Amino acid sequence: MKKIMGLQPWVTLFARLLLGVVLLLAGYLKAQSPSKAQMAVRAYRLLPVSIANLFGLVLPWLEIGAGILLIVGIAVRYSSLFGGALMLLFVGAISQAWVRGLSIDCGCFGGGGEVAAGQTKYLQEVLRDLGLTATAIFLYLYPHGKFGFDKAHLEGVQSE
Amino acid sequence: MILFVVLIGVGFSLLSNKTNSKVSIPSTVSASDGYGIVLNKDAKVKVDLWEDFQCPNCRNFEAVAGGYLNDLARAGKIRITFHPMTFIGPESILAAAAVACAVDSGKFLEMHMALYESQPAKENSGTWTNAALKVIAAAAGDSSSATKSCIDSGKYVNWTKNVEADAAKKNVNSTPTMFINGKQLDQTHYLNLAALKADFVALGVK
Repeated sequence: MKKIMGLQPWVTLFARLLLGVVLLLAGYLKAQSPSKAQMAVRAYRLLPVSIANLFGLVLPWLEIGAGILLIVGIAVRYSSLFGGALMLLFVGAISQAWVRGLSIDCGCFGGGGEVAAGQTKYLQEVLRDLGLTATAIFLYLYPHGKFGFDKAHLEGVQSE
Repeated sequence: MILFVVLIGVGFSLLSNKTNSKVSIPSTVSASDGYGIVLNKDAKVKVDLWEDFQCPNCRNFEAVAGGYLNDLARAGKIRITFHPMTFIGPESILAAAAVACAVDSGKFLEMHMALYESQPAKENSGTWTNAALKVIAAAAGDSSSATKSCIDSGKYVNWTKNVEADAAKKNVNSTPTMFINGKQLDQTHYLNLAALKADFVALGVK
């Protein structure tokens, strides 16, 4: 048992890099093409058009910010909470599109918008985001890992 | 620090995606038409078409319905507004800016058709440069020096952002998207010329 717990800092590091790189990459790809990102958000038909367009512009930068914090290891607890909430939001948004029978690409890594009826990938998109949610939960529980700026004595204290 | 980066990024995105009323716009474009290119502004039946010159479905639509729509437009039977979107990327921007140059020289429909005929197989592959677009314009019968310098100078590049911003406001989420008298065309009619013709006949366009 002790030996397994000894691995925890390494698992935390791995989880941080996994969630961080995914968020950073997703944000970066979306930020490359803001009008496409806006279209992707609109295509979910959840938000009023003007708010969807604003969200499409802001979201990529939030992802980039959270991704960098996780990779570097600053405020891991808060950034993982944020990342996990984001993933749950995505799971909810994709699921409602699935249930309502919309034909859209999730636009998770750029792209997005309406696609032909047979080209949706809802199941794999939802499973991927659930996996990332689990990663975020692990990080929330065990935020202290290898090569991170967060130290144990800062527990519960925002370090940035 | 991180918050700063995020705020800068958001601010930059917000500014670069806003409509700018000071940009150069082609001669038949006005803000009230969503910065689209309008033909036959006095005809009764109003058509709006949102497209991206790099979009394969737009090329398919053009192949099926382009000739028919061009005939209606040339005969002055419809008021058609073209909204060239650019969300697919940099080469969509160059193509849209080039088609706007053709508006000024009166060769818009020709250039519109020629762009789809020469659509590269892969998006943003480096095929559509300004040099290539000048060759396409010349092949479409527009080799005026005004068009060449218009393409070279990127005169209408910033106008394309206004078109894109307006399409975002109007909730256009895929291309091609066509509205006839404010009503979205049935999804199955885009690639079905007989059904499309019937829609127009029902509105008295024969």
